[in-house]
Amino acid sequence: MNPGDLSTALPEVLISVYAMAALLFGVYTGKDRTAGLLTWTTAAVFVLVAIWIGTISGHRTAFDGLFIDDGFARFAKVTVLLSAAAVLVIGHDYMNRRGLMRFEYPIVIALAVIGMMVMVSANDLMSLYMGLELQSLSLYIVASIRRGDAKSTEAGLKYFILGALSSGLLLYGASLTYGFAGTTSFSGILSTVQQGAMPIGLLFGLVFLLSGLAFKVSAVPFHMWTPDVYEGAPTPVTAFFATAPKVAAMALIARLAEGAFGSAPKDWGQVLALLSVASMFWGAIAAIGQRDIKRLMAYSSITHMGFALMGLAAGTAGGVQAMLIYMAIYVTMNVGTFAFILSMQKDGEPVTDIDSLRMYSRREPLKALALLVLMFSLAGVPPMVGFFAKFYVLKAAVDAHMAWLAILGVIASVIGAFYYLRIVFYMYFGEEREGIDAGGMSAGAWVGLMGSAAIMLLGVVNLFGIGSLAQAAAATLVH
Amino acid sequence: MSRRWSLEAEKEPDVDHLLREYLPILIFLVIAVALGLVLVLAAVVLAVRNPDPEKLSAYECGFNAFDDARMKFDVRFYLVSILFIIFDLEVAFLFPWAVAFSGLSLVAFWSMMIFLAVLTVGFAYEWKKGALEWE
Amino acid sequence: MIEQVILFAPLVGAIIGGFGWKVIGEKGALLLTTGLLFLAALLSWIVFLTFDGATQHIEILRYISSGSLDTSWAIRLDRLTTIMLIVVTTVSSLVHLYSWGYMAHDENWTHDEPYKARFFAYLSLFTFAMLMLVTADNLVQMFFGWEGVGLASYLLIGFYYKKPSANAAAIKAFVVNRVGDFGFMLGIATLFFLTDSINFDTIFTHAPALAKTNVTFLWSQWNAADLVGVLLFVGASGKSAQLFLHTWLPDAMEGPTPVSALIHAATMVTAGVFLVCRMSPIYEFAPAAKELVLIIGATTAFFAATVGLVQNDIKRVIAYSTCSQLGYMFAAAGSGVYSVAMFHLLTHAFFKALLFLCAGSVITAMHHEQDMRNYGNLRKKIPFTFWMMVVGTLAITGVGIPFSKELFGIPIGFAGFDSKDAIIEASYAAGSMYGFWMLVIAAVFTAFYSWRLIFMTFYGPEKGDHHKHEHAHESPMVMLIPLGVLGLGAAFSGMVGYNYFFGNEHMLGQFFSLGEHGAPGTGAIYMGATNHVIETAHHLPEWVGVSAFIAMLLGFGVAWVMYIARPDLPARMAAANRPLYLFLLNKWYFDEIYDAILVKPAVALGRFLWKKGDGEVIDGTINGVSMGIVPWFTRLTARAQSGYLFHYAFAMVIGIGVLMTWMTLTGGAH
Repeated sequence: MNPGDLSTALPEVLISVYAMAALLFGVYTGKDRTAGLLTWTTAAVFVLVAIWIGTISGHRTAFDGLFIDDGFARFAKVTVLLSAAAVLVIGHDYMNRRGLMRFEYPIVIALAVIGMMVMVSANDLMSLYMGLELQSLSLYIVASIRRGDAKSTEAGLKYFILGALSSGLLLYGASLTYGFAGTTSFSGILSTVQQGAMPIGLLFGLVFLLSGLAFKVSAVPFHMWTPDVYEGAPTPVTAFFATAPKVAAMALIARLAEGAFGSAPKDWGQVLALLSVASMFWGAIAAIGQRDIKRLMAYSSITHMGFALMGLAAGTAGGVQAMLIYMAIYVTMNVGTFAFILSMQKDGEPVTDIDSLRMYSRREPLKALALLVLMFSLAGVPPMVGFFAKFYVLKAAVDAHMAWLAILGVIASVIGAFYYLRIVFYMYFGEEREGIDAGGMSAGAWVGLMGSAAIMLLGVVNLFGIGSLAQAAAATLVH
Repeated sequence: MSRRWSLEAEKEPDVDHLLREYLPILIFLVIAVALGLVLVLAAVVLAVRNPDPEKLSAYECGFNAFDDARMKFDVRFYLVSILFIIFDLEVAFLFPWAVAFSGLSLVAFWSMMIFLAVLTVGFAYEWKKGALEWE
Repeated sequence: MIEQVILFAPLVGAIIGGFGWKVIGEKGALLLTTGLLFLAALLSWIVFLTFDGATQHIEILRYISSGSLDTSWAIRLDRLTTIMLIVVTTVSSLVHLYSWGYMAHDENWTHDEPYKARFFAYLSLFTFAMLMLVTADNLVQMFFGWEGVGLASYLLIGFYYKKPSANAAAIKAFVVNRVGDFGFMLGIATLFFLTDSINFDTIFTHAPALAKTNVTFLWSQWNAADLVGVLLFVGASGKSAQLFLHTWLPDAMEGPTPVSALIHAATMVTAGVFLVCRMSPIYEFAPAAKELVLIIGATTAFFAATVGLVQNDIKRVIAYSTCSQLGYMFAAAGSGVYSVAMFHLLTHAFFKALLFLCAGSVITAMHHEQDMRNYGNLRKKIPFTFWMMVVGTLAITGVGIPFSKELFGIPIGFAGFDSKDAIIEASYAAGSMYGFWMLVIAAVFTAFYSWRLIFMTFYGPEKGDHHKHEHAHESPMVMLIPLGVLGLGAAFSGMVGYNYFFGNEHMLGQFFSLGEHGAPGTGAIYMGATNHVIETAHHLPEWVGVSAFIAMLLGFGVAWVMYIARPDLPARMAAANRPLYLFLLNKWYFDEIYDAILVKPAVALGRFLWKKGDGEVIDGTINGVSMGIVPWFTRLTARAQSGYLFHYAFAMVIGIGVLMTWMTLTGGAH
């Protein structure tokens, strides 16, 4: 180790120090009374670190190659940080009103974010697992943060147990890989794979590793926890689950696939393609039966992960670029949608039934319009930005001679369009019922909803330049 | 490197060598078993027996050994044991560090210091939170 | 500048009148459109009279610049354009004026349904499109106008959109024209393919080369010039209702009568003739195509005249007459005398518009009764209309003084006497005996049905509804003035134009800037070095010159005998030759044949694709998938999501198992 290592990982170190300081500050001063302050501070720290990371350039490794800081990692980190900050801001009011605002909440989120940052910077099976576990443990806690509520506890417990199982799979895969490659470093594995045919043991290791990570992105058939946890966890936590961890895990899959097994794209491409197809269809079909918008968003995110995996399955730089664009857009759309879901309440109580949205456009035309834009974007209707997200991954698949995958993706998105459009239908047509209250949206959530909707419309110009940024990021990963 | 399970041990001379390497373990195993047997037998032969239900129950943790698994229990038992594990592991790191202390570099020294500091932060938190108070 | 005003004045009128009449009032819209049209007509005459013969290009806008396709939106001003300008704007402005009276009351509309502004806006829109067509400097621009007049024609035929027959007629006109337009488009594409340009000037300079080129089209080798000529003629015959594509024109009479006068007699239907004349440099190098034009034109003239003999609807008689006269024009163009075709186009515009407007006047007088069998003895009641109609009939039948040319330098007679006889002579001079005899026989028939119309309408006893006869009265002045103006044209335009268009080769050469057989495209029309038809036509046997006159006399005489002297004869003849009568009455059964071989199969195919293909296969599949299969899977997934942890874990293990198996079977194989 040398001093340069620490400076390479300085963003992570900084947030860690902040988290510990905040913990001591919180516990020794006002306890939960400081929660609001800590939330805003944490969000601010995230944003500042994101900006700072945005200014860094170059390609450095640290801790004897365990940790890597390259364009790809930085793209993912900025996305993670900004989405985590946005989720903190939009969820703040909800947590306050439901009496869930513990000062540990933003700190645990911060710890999860550190875990994610380590994940995307992992260049070794060791650091991969370390980051993953830090993230997972933090998520177990926030999933069950509403301790007195049976559903929340159940969500946390289910997530914990299945997470442990997936960690087990991952570790088994890691040990198989180590056993057959003789090293845990990604570059070492890469050179082993490059030497010749991949031994079957290594192949099994790869499958187990990918399965463990597929759990984190809730790809079918490792997705079963998602609807229950999304429904059971408090809505701000659900919003967090749907955004930052997905980006981190998806980036980690890309890193593992391209960085460690990059010379055998056919092998993991098959696995990812299978997961992708299963996720797209399962998510789209299962969502049709949902009446609860949080469960619906769970299946929606499963479908979207299927699309992002399609980009990775292509195994090309274009595919990684498409995945990064997809994740950035997906996160933005979800922040806006959850900002709306957070504001759904009837007589002061939160509701999540989509029936309560009937004829919502009469009461709140502007918000209904914003949600319409977001739903169209989620469904991939041009000219919303969500269309371009899908367009890029489909193009990547076609370019990689996986037209069948692209065709299946299009079919799945047609099926999936149904439930997004149904929400729009409820809002604009049909009979009026006693639905959710008008108003009752915090400023943060309002900005999140409107900003996200505006981005979906305005981004059509040039996607705010993330296309080229993602391209540069993908280029650092795929050679 | 990747073929480390390849069966070199089939060659004759190496078998002897391998077995010889494990000989101390075998001796250790024999002594341990023998000592255990001796102690148990000694207790049977020498000890005064004065049984009561409390003594006969396992662990004395407040649970019956054979009972319905679905029961209320005091989470504080687990809290204490979890806290114990953390510091247990801390010691596990500290031992080799302490043994090799004279040969350690400055980086190694400060690494452990940071590690301890992080643990201390957690300790301070749980203390202030009241996790260590039984009532 | 003045040309732009002519071109855009009707468009401005159409837009403001059509969309803004609620602001400026119905009366305001009428005044505006009519006023702008008269302005355009005035300016057109100024342009025509001051035009020096040299072709001008007046660029309006850059139009298309894509690859090697580079063209501007420009006005091509030459003799052809100026002739068409005066024809279009004059007739159009007179029809606008006439419509003030004709459209004043209309029983098709209730009191609170304003329709006049819409009608006038359509008329002006049509005029704009027609001007676009005739001023075009390239084929695409011409095609724009071509489609524009088609649109306006569609809107105006279907103007009484409450009448199913009007809608059917409008659709028929549109669809039949599509067939022709397809040929036109193919022609444009072929020319662009061969010459890499759509500008007339470039195409014309390539014309001699085209004649030496062969192209493969469909299944055989074609001479390029002939192929282009035929394709363009397909387009022309669609718009100009030539044989096989003529069926829409009689039905188009469903539109208001001023529309029939303007669009389906004087202007739009002559667009095909104009196209052939405009493309004369191509046709001069395409002898086979020219031959085809002549044969189709002459046959149409004959065919339509035979059908006209037995029709009873006054407008239909004139419609078939129009069809027949268009055949004359094509016969002229096919003979290589494009100037004569234009001459007849010009005179025909006057006398046919006159006939239609007179018919309109009769129809108004008789309270929208159109069946001639219910007319009779109307000459006393509507004397001015009667006299004007006689002038029109004298013009169309070609009444004049034979051999007067030798005495006065021009043949003294009504317009048709100069222009139609010139066509008949030219067809003889071109050496086509088939064309010549067809046209002469058609002239007999023309005279017969024209006079039959006069006799049935204005002479004899009053027939039909008594009530209508009692209330028959002369039309208002706004309708009579246009009749008078057109009557002057019908009487004198032939004598005025004769030398410029046909009689005097020197004047003709100057008028059209022909030059001494210069390169194609220098003048308004082009006559090849071997084209001596006009010269030959001036030195024909005497009998050829008087044949048309004799034909006219013959037709008149028979009509007089059958409808004045012996009014019982027609019925007896019809009874005696019933198959022939029915054959003619049913227009040679063209509609029935088309219905059987084209319409019915197309409808059947459409019905099949709709009911079976779209309804059962596509809708059925989508409904089945979206309402049957997908929900079934949805229920399946809902069952899988049981909430039990061990199910979830089991799913993960199954997933791993599947992936491992898959990889072992496929990925691990290499």
